[in-house]
Amino acid sequence: MVRLITHNLLACHVKGCNANNFPLEFRNVELEIREAEFNPDFVKGFLPKIEWKALVDTARQLGDTSLPEEQPEMLDDDFLKNLHHVLLEIHVEEGAMVCPNCKHEYPIASGIPNMLLAEHEIA
Amino acid sequence: MPSRYLVQFAQAHEEFRLPELQSISELNGFTIQFLDDPECNDPKRPFMVLELENEEQARLLARRCILVKAVYDYYGHGSTYEALHEVNRSSKPKWEQYIPDTSFKFIVSGFNHTIPQRRQRDVIESFAYMDFLGEINMKTPQILLACFEEYDESFKRPREEHAGDGGFRQLYFGRLLEEGTARPLVNVFDVKKRKYFGNTSMEAEISLLMANQTMASPGKLMYDPFIGTGSMAYPTAHFGSLMFGSDIDGRQMRGKTYDHPSSNLKSEPGVFRAAKQYGVDGRILDLATFDMTNHPWRCGGFFDAIITDPPYGRLGRKRELSDRQKELCRIHREAPQPEDTPYIPPTKPYELSHLVSDLILFARYLLKPEGRLVFFLPTVNDEYEEVDVHNSLCEGMEVIANSLQDFGSWGRRLITIRKTTLQSYPPPTFEAQREESHTPAHKDFREKYFQGFKAPLSEPSPLDSPKLADQ
Repeated sequence: MVRLITHNLLACHVKGCNANNFPLEFRNVELEIREAEFNPDFVKGFLPKIEWKALVDTARQLGDTSLPEEQPEMLDDDFLKNLHHVLLEIHVEEGAMVCPNCKHEYPIASGIPNMLLAEHEIA
Repeated sequence: MPSRYLVQFAQAHEEFRLPELQSISELNGFTIQFLDDPECNDPKRPFMVLELENEEQARLLARRCILVKAVYDYYGHGSTYEALHEVNRSSKPKWEQYIPDTSFKFIVSGFNHTIPQRRQRDVIESFAYMDFLGEINMKTPQILLACFEEYDESFKRPREEHAGDGGFRQLYFGRLLEEGTARPLVNVFDVKKRKYFGNTSMEAEISLLMANQTMASPGKLMYDPFIGTGSMAYPTAHFGSLMFGSDIDGRQMRGKTYDHPSSNLKSEPGVFRAAKQYGVDGRILDLATFDMTNHPWRCGGFFDAIITDPPYGRLGRKRELSDRQKELCRIHREAPQPEDTPYIPPTKPYELSHLVSDLILFARYLLKPEGRLVFFLPTVNDEYEEVDVHNSLCEGMEVIANSLQDFGSWGRRLITIRKTTLQSYPPPTFEAQREESHTPAHKDFREKYFQGFKAPLSEPSPLDSPKLADQ
């Protein structure tokens, strides 16, 4: 797991790490592609919440170049299908997410990222 | 023209009936009119008559409401057979189409009472004026007509067979439209048959009721911030929603089979295994290990609902760390250990009343406008006051349902809160210190639970106070 929709919603939350803490960088990833139900309304509805540049850059980093640099104004079916694929069908199973600012590393094991911070990173 | 429909409820969770009907009607975009008649609008009783725009709406309720046993086209009710027949005669436009050649079956059934066969026949014969010409077919009738006699609770007590027969409180009559097809889900999601569960797993019926309170449906995004073993995720995903889950303790989501760092075996986390069993693994959007009070969400305003059973320590979850875990904490503090098992933080006691206020603030941040927060609140029944819940609320959040599941001295309330504001709010600060003017009955719930809800001996009991002298 760790789909790119989730990745697009998570930022580093180490105490005091408030700038340049998003998007987290994937490291040493093992990917899996799994088909997901296509719901165009869901994809359209979620669009306003997406940080577009972060999504496109991350997708390209993981080898998917189907999304345009700029978010298109016309939402045709092909575009929504590509976006659906990027958001919901690419799964990062193993690896880590690293904060570009403080370099904190969030490990991913069996598809579950560990976003917990040790006590000294909270307080 | 609205029409009347008879609902027969399953005998469970009376307080959850109305909220469920209302959530499912809202989900499907229609409203229910309740009759201004105490014999037809009391959700504590097994039968209720509703006014709906059309038959399809009644069927939608039967297909989705966990507490609906069946829905009937309503032909009449009354406290005597004379009264019932009079209403039924005036309902003729609803049933005259079945007179010429429709095969039918007629049942007479008692609630809290078994009606002797002989009188059942008499009752059926008393409907002879309906003059149905079609054949009687007991196995595959085209229509089923049902007459119910509702007896008071007291009839349940052991007594002479058939004693009090005919002393019913109310009669209901109608034609079966649809049996409740959501109710069997209680069996499908039975925890005992689940591939992965824990001692805090929520029973299937309640998880399904909670999922209905969120108005789960395809294309919605839901979140459980205390997902644990995923009890609420499965039914919510079953109804089509995508589900995100987080928990401070990754072991809850993974289960015991989670591989030891020394082993090369990778086993699938427990929540995914159970989701697969129900065919909903694709709808578990993601799971993540983190604590609600230190969360990594970049923004808010994107969840359709939050559904959760917050930890309130009834099962003694306030645990001490083992020596091995303490050692892990120490290693992690001194140097990062990316290859190691996840860091497990020591859990701190989290006062329930603070947790509830924080959860509501957190939900206001994360929910879309009109989004819902559905959660359980344990409380001491004798001390509970309406204000307990209302004092936890913040601006822009409104309670729309509050149903008690009663366990005697304590109970838990299923609270449904709607985000009524369009405004965006910042995430809560989760402050440790706060002032309270009112002490809710769920404060220090864990301590009260383990004391058996008796006042501590060291303090004077409120019963000893000089209150009596005032009278």
